[in-house]
Amino acid sequence: MKKEIATFNVNSRSYDVIITPNMTLSELLREKLDLTGTKYACGVGECGACTVLVDGKPVLSCSTLAIAVRNKNILTIEGLANGTNLHPIQQAFIDHGAMQCGFCTPGMIMMTKALLDENPNPTREEVKEGIGGNLCRCTGYVKIIDAVMAVAETMKKGGK
Amino acid sequence: MRVLKPFDYFEPTSVKEAVKLLSTHGDKAQLLAGGVDLIPRMRKGAIKAAFLINIQNIPELDYINNGKGFKFGAMARLHSLETAKEIQKSYPILYEAIHQITSVQTKYMGTAVGNICVGTPASDVATVLMALDAELTIAGAKGDRTEPMAKFYVDYLKTSLKPDEMVTGVSLPNPTAGMGTAFLNLVRTHADIAKVTVAAALTVENNVCKEARITIGAAAPTIFRASKAEALLKGQKVDSQIINKAAETAAGETRPITDLRSTAEYRKEVTRVLVSRALEKALERAKG
Repeated sequence: MKKEIATFNVNSRSYDVIITPNMTLSELLREKLDLTGTKYACGVGECGACTVLVDGKPVLSCSTLAIAVRNKNILTIEGLANGTNLHPIQQAFIDHGAMQCGFCTPGMIMMTKALLDENPNPTREEVKEGIGGNLCRCTGYVKIIDAVMAVAETMKKGGK
Repeated sequence: MRVLKPFDYFEPTSVKEAVKLLSTHGDKAQLLAGGVDLIPRMRKGAIKAAFLINIQNIPELDYINNGKGFKFGAMARLHSLETAKEIQKSYPILYEAIHQITSVQTKYMGTAVGNICVGTPASDVATVLMALDAELTIAGAKGDRTEPMAKFYVDYLKTSLKPDEMVTGVSLPNPTAGMGTAFLNLVRTHADIAKVTVAAALTVENNVCKEARITIGAAAPTIFRASKAEALLKGQKVDSQIINKAAETAAGETRPITDLRSTAEYRKEVTRVLVSRALEKALERAKG
């Protein structure tokens, strides 16, 4: 197995990292780049906690090879806020108490970003379907769905 | 956290190059499309791959088009198929089978061809594609060939693919006039795979069955066509009586196992119920 230096664009920053082909994207983010906001949980693509966006699309970083996404644009939870200003989705999750232990939250928020980018005006049912691949083990989904519905409204009005 | 065992990695940019790699590395190689099944199974150690061939950068595999019949490539993602208007209109059961997959991420990553090639009897998407009479286009070192999906599965997780072959695309025939289709499955929760999956395509003219395709998933080592039940329907006037008889026959064609999801007896009985409901629904849709 060959080692190589690969370039990754994460949160609009470029990183050159020595990798081997068997490294997953979640390992790259957490262990090489110290971006530990992305969570590793089930490791089999069942829970969505490791969701990040690659070229704007939601992917499971535990089931994605890092080598396969070199030179693509990767967005993680750390890249959402603008300096100290939280992204409206992050703010809505806080305002609605849409988290308890917080472990699923980065994945939920990244999936919400993908959902609203594709469908800025979702119905409650569409939100439920949109986060169908993200498991929350403690809070439950009502407050999360409330937060997503609220932020869709805010963002539609151009609120930040 | 379990890491993946080491492997050599390739990124071909053409089918020709991919087939060449397959013919060199043979059965020690795995193809990577979406990775949603492959990577977790490699992590568990259920699949050992000395060589990994990533086919994501082969442009000729990434297409969905509608001409004479409907075709899509091996890298067409489930999400692209789900949102394709032509599929929603002409192949509603394919849309339904994809739409009910709960994980949106899986649909953005995963491909229908990946679903087919895993060879699991519990694939809803593959069960539906077989009912739609899908034909696979296969590239290999000795040239290209086609194979109807109904003949593709050999045994549990085993397909007719040779070590130097890969599925490059899927063609669906145009829906015939008077054809109605239905897809039904029984699941504990939609995030889980099905206990039993059934798809049916029924072509009816003046209430007489011209053609019937019934496919059953998760009730035998492979997805299969219930050919005895199909033969029973063909040429007959379609009513509840014959539908019930066909459903019973189809249940008799299953070879289910007992596992944590269901007992074999339950799977057999549920197949009977689902086939009966699927045929009723297909008939209703055939009548428009």
